[in-house]
Amino acid sequence: MSNRTLKRTGRAGVALAVGFAFAAVPVAAQASTVNLATVSPFVVLGGSTVTNTGPSVLNGDLGVAPGTALVGFGLPAVVNGATHDNDGVANQAKADLGTAYDVAAGQPVSGANDLTGTNLGNRTLKAGAYRYTSSAQLTGPLTLDAEGDPAAQFVFEIASQLTTASASSVVLLNGASPCNVFWQVGTSATLGSTTAFKGNLMALASISLNNAVTVQGRLLARNGQVSLINDVIDGSTCGTSTSNPTPTPGNPTPGNPTTPGGPTTPGGPTTPGSGNQAPPASRSATPTHAGTARLRRPPRITTSRRPGPACTAGFHATVTGNMIRRVVFSLDGKRIGTRTRPAFRQYVKASAGRQHTITARVGFKDATHSKTMKFRYRACAAQVLRPRQGPSQFTG
Amino acid sequence: MIRSALAAPRLPGSRRGVAVLAVALATVATGGVLAVPAGARVPAAQPLVVLLHDHIARADPEVWARRIETVPARRPLTHVRTVLPVIGRTTSPDGRAWTRVRLPGRPSGHTGWIPTSQTKRAATSWQLSLKLSARRVTVYRHGRVVRRFQAIVGKPSTPTPRGKFFIEEALALSSQAPGGPFALATSARSAVLQEFEGGPGQIALHGTNGLSGALGTAASHGCIRLSTGAITWLAGRVGAGVTLTVTR
Repeated sequence: MSNRTLKRTGRAGVALAVGFAFAAVPVAAQASTVNLATVSPFVVLGGSTVTNTGPSVLNGDLGVAPGTALVGFGLPAVVNGATHDNDGVANQAKADLGTAYDVAAGQPVSGANDLTGTNLGNRTLKAGAYRYTSSAQLTGPLTLDAEGDPAAQFVFEIASQLTTASASSVVLLNGASPCNVFWQVGTSATLGSTTAFKGNLMALASISLNNAVTVQGRLLARNGQVSLINDVIDGSTCGTSTSNPTPTPGNPTPGNPTTPGGPTTPGGPTTPGSGNQAPPASRSATPTHAGTARLRRPPRITTSRRPGPACTAGFHATVTGNMIRRVVFSLDGKRIGTRTRPAFRQYVKASAGRQHTITARVGFKDATHSKTMKFRYRACAAQVLRPRQGPSQFTG
Repeated sequence: MIRSALAAPRLPGSRRGVAVLAVALATVATGGVLAVPAGARVPAAQPLVVLLHDHIARADPEVWARRIETVPARRPLTHVRTVLPVIGRTTSPDGRAWTRVRLPGRPSGHTGWIPTSQTKRAATSWQLSLKLSARRVTVYRHGRVVRRFQAIVGKPSTPTPRGKFFIEEALALSSQAPGGPFALATSARSAVLQEFEGGPGQIALHGTNGLSGALGTAASHGCIRLSTGAITWLAGRVGAGVTLTVTR
């Protein structure tokens, strides 16, 4: 192939690529960004009430308007942020929430992105707007793939309810940010226990979280209540609005956010002035739940009452798995060792006599919930001699 | 008891084995001050015999040989089965099997022959030795030193007898009893005290509850006193039949 031919082919390729690029632009242009404006500092914002039960943790501001009831946010609950009880800040945020909600609801959706009647679980979606003309259900993991674009926006327009089953999750892939995920729910949202949810959940009515739900993002109810039970709501990765705002009078820009009382993000970086920069894709931003652990019972532990090779003075209890950060071993409730690096194993003296219990409490490097495992053993009955009682008649 | 003695627990981990090996290597490297490791003089296992019935001990392996004594099948203090160390076996011309054993009681360290019938073979990997001059008890297992304990031995007027003996029975003593919490009654008897505290002047390894004297001294009436930790450790591992060698 001559150089001339190569150049011609190269130009054709460039022209083709430019053509494709221009063809893609209109699709992207149709989607407008959702601007949370003064809602940004809030991790929980309710309409009528916000109630909590148990040791929930909120990393961000808490507010309610026009209602005034904030119930259950004393200890053991922790609010790492400001509280706005139907004050000016909360009312302004509610107004901005209405705007953001409407913008999200007005996102154009292509026919292929109408997911009505299908489950969100066990599927991977790319950036864009998706629609449910009725209710939406999430059972299992939903993966959102940003394809390397940290500004990629995902909008879910759900006409009525959003419900997640227990242990469901939203997984962010390739730079996707929870700050750029918007759930516009026409009525109410209910998150099942231990759900790992990501994104800004905006419901027209109420939002209910069951036990031990983790949310990276925000819970924003326009009219109804937000109820929590022993949950963790973390907005620390979204310190300011991640969307491109339309500068209007009284509407703060991300580069100069109006953050009264916030954002307070202990344990997470504040990014004042970071504007619409989404947080970098990192493990801390999108924690996984990939931790596994298994407590191995050594085959040499025996319940045999007869002496022999199986009888032993002790054994090693070993934990194997992935993403293990720390293992605490206990024998009959008494701590006998802590391991923070592989191999996670502990020598256990095979105390004879009654039945004993080995417990291993495993903490993980990612967001996997800690795990407690145990097994019981009874050492050989003849391990330790037990002399009979007798008289003292010796020479002394 | 035999079963218990055999099933005594292995030492935790292999570190102790490594330590023993290190000691052995160090000994070789220092020109062989101890040419043979102390543990090597002790056999790895001691054969034992458990009496299933009362036996007559004789001076020779013959039915008409001199009768030494009757060995009861159970020990007098705790009534566990009698376990004796075996030091020989033979078969008499009439086809009877005989076992030469160490015998309890006086004279200390005496031996005799008992018929092999109505006995059960056993073995132990534990052995004890006491060096009087060092006032130190050494514990062997599988021929290797596993523990050393400081002890109180008999004072000059009531010395601890020297020789080869064995543990007759192990006892748990009451909290008020002197010498608690445990005692390992041996086959040795005091050469001075024919009777003591209602007993036959029996020598034992025991604790120091209610007794005076500092470890490492010669202050007892012949018994071997050990710290509470040491005797507790021993009582959990060393059972009847384990040999005790007392040397100067």
